[in-house]
Amino acid sequence: MDNQAILEVSHLSKAFGKNTVLKDIDFTVRPGDVTSIIGASGSGKSTLLRCINLLETPTGGDILYHGKSVVARGFNPSSYRAKVGMVFQSFNLFNNLTVLDNCMIGQIKVLKRNREEAREKALKYLDKVGMVPYMNAKPRQISGGQKQRAAIARALAMDPEILLFDEPTSALDPEMVGEVLSVMRDLANEGMTMLVVTHEMAFARDVSSDVVFMSDGVICEQGDPKEIFSNPKETKTREFLSRILG
Amino acid sequence: MFIDRLTQLGQDIAKLWSQYSASFLLGVRNTLILAVVATAIGCVIGFFCGVLQTIPYTKNDNIFKRFFLKLLRVVIRIYVEIFRGTPMILQAVFIFYALPYFSGNAIQFTNKWICAIVVVSINTGAYMAESFRGGIISIDPGQTEGAKAIGMTHFQTMNSIILPQALRNIMPQIGNNFIINVKDTSVMFIIGFTEFFAYHKMITGATFKYFPSAVIEMAGYLIMTIIASLLLRFVEKKLDGAGSYELVNADQLVMTAGTYNNPEKGSPYDEHSKEYPDLSERRGR
Repeated sequence: MDNQAILEVSHLSKAFGKNTVLKDIDFTVRPGDVTSIIGASGSGKSTLLRCINLLETPTGGDILYHGKSVVARGFNPSSYRAKVGMVFQSFNLFNNLTVLDNCMIGQIKVLKRNREEAREKALKYLDKVGMVPYMNAKPRQISGGQKQRAAIARALAMDPEILLFDEPTSALDPEMVGEVLSVMRDLANEGMTMLVVTHEMAFARDVSSDVVFMSDGVICEQGDPKEIFSNPKETKTREFLSRILG
Repeated sequence: MFIDRLTQLGQDIAKLWSQYSASFLLGVRNTLILAVVATAIGCVIGFFCGVLQTIPYTKNDNIFKRFFLKLLRVVIRIYVEIFRGTPMILQAVFIFYALPYFSGNAIQFTNKWICAIVVVSINTGAYMAESFRGGIISIDPGQTEGAKAIGMTHFQTMNSIILPQALRNIMPQIGNNFIINVKDTSVMFIIGFTEFFAYHKMITGATFKYFPSAVIEMAGYLIMTIIASLLLRFVEKKLDGAGSYELVNADQLVMTAGTYNNPEKGSPYDEHSKEYPDLSERRGR
């Protein structure tokens, strides 16, 4: 078992103009970790995830991917992003392509796989998320839950080392949340390394191996989920959990 | 009285048509060829302007790339402002006489076709540049982020994701420009290009039947533009593709392992399925 960290975030900070949204963030992701990032809206959770995938440029600190800095000049973000999958709150499926083509295009264009190989892989993961029957549908023709499952298949088809989830169920109707969470739960059980920004406390508590609680752009508390949910040390964590769990 | 005039008009039109139908039709042909060719070239110009203008650059890019991209934007901006901001009839005169003026009559537009096509194409290109830019920036940024997140480069994203969607969205604008060109190429008579309207001037010069000829011209332009509209609608429909899709049965697949087993039952994740797991209690709400 390789215990070398996949991602090491150290002293990461991000500011939009004068507005600092992330301050001195430190944490590590090892293979097989399922880390849930929880916290109130506006606490910087999504920005953190977007910084890790370089959709936002960090203004300070460093992110190491297998020990190599991804914010250094001359670093090629494309091949890095191909290894770090991302699932968005608003799905971001390609509207001009069918579900199947959504799962194939990255493999063909970025990983240079041939069509048969890409199709086989796409079908394998569409099958995993139960979306094979809808593979010929365009994104506008399917429901939110189906879109998110297709988006997960698209990310998986790239054979990522780690999957980032940015509030994957927040844009879904309540009855569709379950189908997406159960896909994520399966992935976690299979040993996929995941970093999940979520408001689903049951998922954070029952599925993840680590929980990071963020408040006002800093990591307030992190550790074992059972510990944090049953016995939070910080006042802010306690307040947040009592507010959200009722 | 009015009825008399109408009969008279009918007779005049019939007479004009029998005498000059070949000229009118030649005018229609020239107008259509000019409009089609110039709109096509204009679209190509607009396409490149739109794509080049929207190449992103950040502070981290090297200074040459930033300078070059900025310069490109400025040049395109100037081109658009000049050719969108002056009348096409004047642009025609301007370009037609510019060559002989600077070359001391050594170089001239001997072919009116070339001059007309150049003028209308450049003019259309200025409008289409903005249409393409608008089409590209109107695509949801999430599409770009989705493409970036799987490692696609700007070029790949443009090519496979953004442009196909942008192109669909600006189809009505391309149609608009084509119809405008069918009508506005009439100003090319100023450089002696004989399109549909130029024949009106010639024919009325010989017959003095201004109104009957104008009626023929009106009808001719309307028929051309209405047919163009219908064709464009048809193309748009084609581009939209099928409104429905077919569910795929599991037994057609190579892959059989996994959760999906019976199309009758739906997938275990389908909320309408009887096998849909009740997660409410696990979600702790």
